[in-house]
Amino acid sequence: MKLINLWVLAVSILAGSAFAQEREMILPVSQSAYSQGVKIKGGTLVFLSGVGPADEKGVLATSGDFPGQVRATWENMRRLLAKAGGSVDDIVTMTVYTTERRWGEIFTDMRKEVFKTGYPSSAFMEVRKLKTPGALLEIQAIAVLKE
Amino acid sequence: MEYWSRWERAMKTAIPLLTVFLLSLIGTSHGQEFRKEFVDPMPQDSRSAAVKVKGGTMLFLAGHTASLPQVNVDHGNFEAQFKRVFDKIKTTLTQAGATFDDIVTMSVFLTDLRYIPEFNKLSKEIFKKGFPAVTFVEVSHLARPQLIMEIQPIAVIP
Repeated sequence: MKLINLWVLAVSILAGSAFAQEREMILPVSQSAYSQGVKIKGGTLVFLSGVGPADEKGVLATSGDFPGQVRATWENMRRLLAKAGGSVDDIVTMTVYTTERRWGEIFTDMRKEVFKTGYPSSAFMEVRKLKTPGALLEIQAIAVLKE
Repeated sequence: MEYWSRWERAMKTAIPLLTVFLLSLIGTSHGQEFRKEFVDPMPQDSRSAAVKVKGGTMLFLAGHTASLPQVNVDHGNFEAQFKRVFDKIKTTLTQAGATFDDIVTMSVFLTDLRYIPEFNKLSKEIFKKGFPAVTFVEVSHLARPQLIMEIQPIAVIP
């Protein structure tokens, strides 16, 4: 009986590891803090609405200050992902919309401080306007939670 | 004799255990386990801050517009374009065996963000079991001059 219990346990562990989720960053571009691809199987997906620099009441405390808005945006992103049971390290891809593309380099420099375990795939583009008046960026992300 | 009866008793316990275990393996490998959760739903804005899903089949849709096959659909009429776009999205979803309620996120590209309140009002007629995550972006042009919106959804089918 004990032996059979052990056997069941062993098979469970083996099966578990076969389903365990692994992510592979394809062709990371470290100077711009993104990867050309992220390969992943299984896991819980989180699709996020666009996250911007305004606080929970919709107030924008950092008008005109791009680095300040980037920090506020990542703070909001951290808070939302925590509510979903994850962290920024779970982000696999993101689309960054900005109202002025000249801030691209500042954005990617600051992104190096955000991701410590590998960079997600990303697109960065200039758009005419964002939903929050005065917002200079908005990030739309998809995360896959670690099991 | 003693040995065999113990073995029999052991097997009586082990076989149901093993069966349940193997069935659960088949279940997960076929994606039968499906969970969906709306994180921070904001019904007043017709969206959720995030949608969390486990399992299911993913469906990535193209950006849908009111364009083809009716090229000249109601210039500037937001409601007409909205209905046309969602009709086309529905055709795509149906083809894939999905419904509007399977949409987990959409990127909404508008030529004028002042349409957002109207968009949200019309959205309430589309989503009956909870709102997807939504990102609105204003762009200067879409693929054709008469288009005022393009919607790119992702769905997860249970």
